[in-house]
Amino acid sequence: MELNNSKIKIKSKNLNVYYGNKQALHNINLEINNKEVTALIGPSGCGKSTFIRCINRMNDTIDICKVDGSIEIDGKEVNDKNVDVVTLREKIGMVFQKPNPFPKSIYDNIAYGPTIHGIGEKKDEMDKIVETSLKKAALWDEVKDRLNEPGTGLSGGQQQRLCIARALSVNPEVILMDEPCSSLDPIATAKIEELIDDLKKSYTIVIVTHSMAQAVRVSQKTGFFHLGKIIEVDTTEKIFKNPANKMTQDYITGRFG
Amino acid sequence: MNLLIFALIILFGLSSYYFGRSEARKLITTNKIKLNALPSYYGYYLGIWCGLPALIILSLWSLFEPTIIKMVILSNFSNVESKDLFYEQTLSFFNGNFTGELTNNIKIASEKYSSLNAIAYNSKIALLASAVIFSTSYAYKKVKSNNRARDDVELILKGLLFVSSLVAILTTIGIIVSLLFESIKFFSTINLFDFIFGTSWSPQRAFVRDASTITPEEYLELKDAFGSVPLFAGTAFIALIAMCVAVPIGLFSGIYLAEYASTKVRKYSKPIIEILAGIPTVVYGFFAALTVGPFFRTVGESLGLTVSSESALAAGLIMGVMIIPYISSLSDDVINSVPQSLRDGSYAVGATKSETIKKVIIPAALPGIIGSILLAVSRAIGETMIVVMAAGLAANLTINPLESTTTITTQIVMILVGDQEFDSPKTQAAFALGLTLFIATLFLNYIALRVVKKYREKYD
Repeated sequence: MELNNSKIKIKSKNLNVYYGNKQALHNINLEINNKEVTALIGPSGCGKSTFIRCINRMNDTIDICKVDGSIEIDGKEVNDKNVDVVTLREKIGMVFQKPNPFPKSIYDNIAYGPTIHGIGEKKDEMDKIVETSLKKAALWDEVKDRLNEPGTGLSGGQQQRLCIARALSVNPEVILMDEPCSSLDPIATAKIEELIDDLKKSYTIVIVTHSMAQAVRVSQKTGFFHLGKIIEVDTTEKIFKNPANKMTQDYITGRFG
Repeated sequence: MNLLIFALIILFGLSSYYFGRSEARKLITTNKIKLNALPSYYGYYLGIWCGLPALIILSLWSLFEPTIIKMVILSNFSNVESKDLFYEQTLSFFNGNFTGELTNNIKIASEKYSSLNAIAYNSKIALLASAVIFSTSYAYKKVKSNNRARDDVELILKGLLFVSSLVAILTTIGIIVSLLFESIKFFSTINLFDFIFGTSWSPQRAFVRDASTITPEEYLELKDAFGSVPLFAGTAFIALIAMCVAVPIGLFSGIYLAEYASTKVRKYSKPIIEILAGIPTVVYGFFAALTVGPFFRTVGESLGLTVSSESALAAGLIMGVMIIPYISSLSDDVINSVPQSLRDGSYAVGATKSETIKKVIIPAALPGIIGSILLAVSRAIGETMIVVMAAGLAANLTINPLESTTTITTQIVMILVGDQEFDSPKTQAAFALGLTLFIATLFLNYIALRVVKKYREKYD
């Protein structure tokens, strides 16, 4: 993989995160390339999710969480006091472990984000946004005839794609995915992976996953976390074929974790 | 005397619990038998068998003894004029506090009573003792033969629980039936139509008048004394004022507690708000009548308004304050049960906290919030004390909150306070009002529970 040709989109420097007295992340230095899929792997509780929640400052919603160090997006500091989280999160979408559609209609689930940011105030504009978002999330054909039905009535895989569509609706540049397939069956997982492959043409994607096979299938770059430290980052090919670190080797071959 | 017997039975039961347990242990250690249940189950088994049959016999005996003795005595005196009075006199002579004209019959009856009492007492003791001995030895044999004590104890416990719930259900049915019967009597005198649609309420007019002797002319006069419209209107009006106070304040404080307050603030402020629900309503009542009412009157006068010192406004306002914790506490719980993942989803597309609350959390929690409001409404409708003290007694049909008005519950209190004749339509009107109130709150509660149930299905 030609790592050097890609522009760096997100860059963390000496990032430390604490939950109360417990330190969850230790000096994380990580670079995430533009329009590429970066997979974060590692055993449970190693800080992968905490890390991606730092990128869109979702950790702000947890009272006891304290972040120091730096994360830059396009060279701009995220943790700066002057950064408006609303615009930051407009730029960085997020998809969660469990599908979490709002108990509203499919249409309103997608329209929610644009409405908040004052986009698509005219009905036909909003219709267009809903349609393109659902098309990008490969859900349009399945739901186009029932946009007014509740989003919670869809199957698990469809719900997750609805959540991806919701994240896409505000035109983000980065999409963070926190184990997006962990509650889905293999067929739904395959669909989401296909979708990720498609989305990386226009979006920078960071995906947390417990499945090595998934990391190999979808990502170009992989970072291995262990106990809140980043052990090894490299191209996915190198990590899985010829890891530099003994611990990485042990983890990917299933000897621990 | 019964108390002593009761205590003895309990004591026997307890000691056979320990006895049964130690017997079971002995079986394990000396006979090396693997028992079907833990030793304490054999204790319970023996204890229950020792106590329960005797207790049941005792309570049935105490229930029927007086009636049977009375029947036996009175059967000997068929020529007495008033049997009940005669029996009362006999009893008071027997107890040594008889005053009045003493007849020979009374003396004879009293002697009969004392001998019957002694027989009853002795046979009661004998019956109870044999019951205890028989059932305990039966159970002891069972324990010795290593029965499935665990299953048996479970069965008995299940029976006990069933009986308890039966008592609650039967009480409810009893109340409804008594309401229904008295109401039927009332509606046989007063037309149902006149009751529901009449607009004037003055039951005093029917005072001391036997329902069975009312002539058609009198009925014409009484016809418009029992129009319940002013009462229902007053009840609804005061409940409306109360809800206008309680819903916004309760809902907002519920949202604050659930979404904004830190854990520490929530931990202390929630119980403090809930104290409001624990204040006796009579305290609210005199607060409304003695502080808030006169205050409104003064303010009203300075603005040039005539404010009655007992006003719907004062009562409604204070009732609203009383209801706040019902709404705030329940909606706090409901909002808290909205999954965190929905909040995360909303924050992740860039929504602020208040946008998330307004557009995601409240809509998701709405059925539960409506449920809490409906429960609060039925509380407001049933509330009595505040209205009695602060809203007045005059059945005015008015929508001016500054005038005095009255509610269904207040009128029931007014009708039933003091000496009553139970065949007067005035007294029976209380039951009719109670029945309609019961139906109204039952209906509201039913809707509230349905709404809450629908909400529960949402996040399964």
